[in-house]
Amino acid sequence: MNVDDPAVFAILRRCRVARIATLSRSGRPSVNPLYFVYLNGRIWLGTSDWTLAARNVQADPRVSVLFEVERDPGPRRVLRISGRASVRTDRKGQRSYNRRVARKYVLTPGGILHYLAHLRLLRLMHFYHAQSAEKGQACIIEVTPEHVELLPTEPFG
Amino acid sequence: MKRVSRNIDLDSARDLLERVPRACLCFAREQGPQAEPVALVWQDGRYLAGLPLHADGQPESGQEVVLLIDEGVHFFDLRALYIRGRLGAASAATGVLSGHTWFEVIPFKTVAWDYGTLREVKDER
Repeated sequence: MNVDDPAVFAILRRCRVARIATLSRSGRPSVNPLYFVYLNGRIWLGTSDWTLAARNVQADPRVSVLFEVERDPGPRRVLRISGRASVRTDRKGQRSYNRRVARKYVLTPGGILHYLAHLRLLRLMHFYHAQSAEKGQACIIEVTPEHVELLPTEPFG
Repeated sequence: MKRVSRNIDLDSARDLLERVPRACLCFAREQGPQAEPVALVWQDGRYLAGLPLHADGQPESGQEVVLLIDEGVHFFDLRALYIRGRLGAASAATGVLSGHTWFEVIPFKTVAWDYGTLREVKDER
């Protein structure tokens, strides 16, 4: 199975939050929910270079990422992509990621309504991002898939 | 000095343990990190995680893991409970699915966050 398989692509297209599992240099596990975009066979997940996810990828490039369509009325389907990742901090990549993320998460009817409903928090969101920028720069975790699998569907907890 | 925080106390995230919108377990294998969707039961204050019997590689009792329970799509709806701990063997939680191997996650660090509660707090670093 690969990322071009229609069933896989359908999940990547509709899923909004990926959960990326990483290991530290000493082998300690971590898993973090992150926004992502799919681009030319690769997965780009947005974070900052000071986060555990980014630092772990720099220490050990192996990753395992879960994707699941939120609010899917159908049976639960979970996609797992394992592969190798790298941390990108180049401006061209970051601009491209930001444009795609804006289209996917903000410039949609649901996204616009969400931000309008939370206008009072936008100032704090701005400060929160600025605070993060003081600790390091925004980055992309770029995942090159090596193994793609649809996990058996079962009712979960 | 103030900073903006997304963190919440565990009581405020208790509903995630009761509803379990989505949960996964992460652990190390020889081939690299493994993320597995899990069934989760919060019973008498214990975190019981069930992996399907056919899961590709089961963790071992005593192994360090991270259990993540999260929900939300849009920014201010994103909430999560991040539990780092060790696995202990557990018998099947009562009244739940068969066909799973059950573990207890014995936590040693727990963090909860909710972007809908962004607020200024005193920086105590």
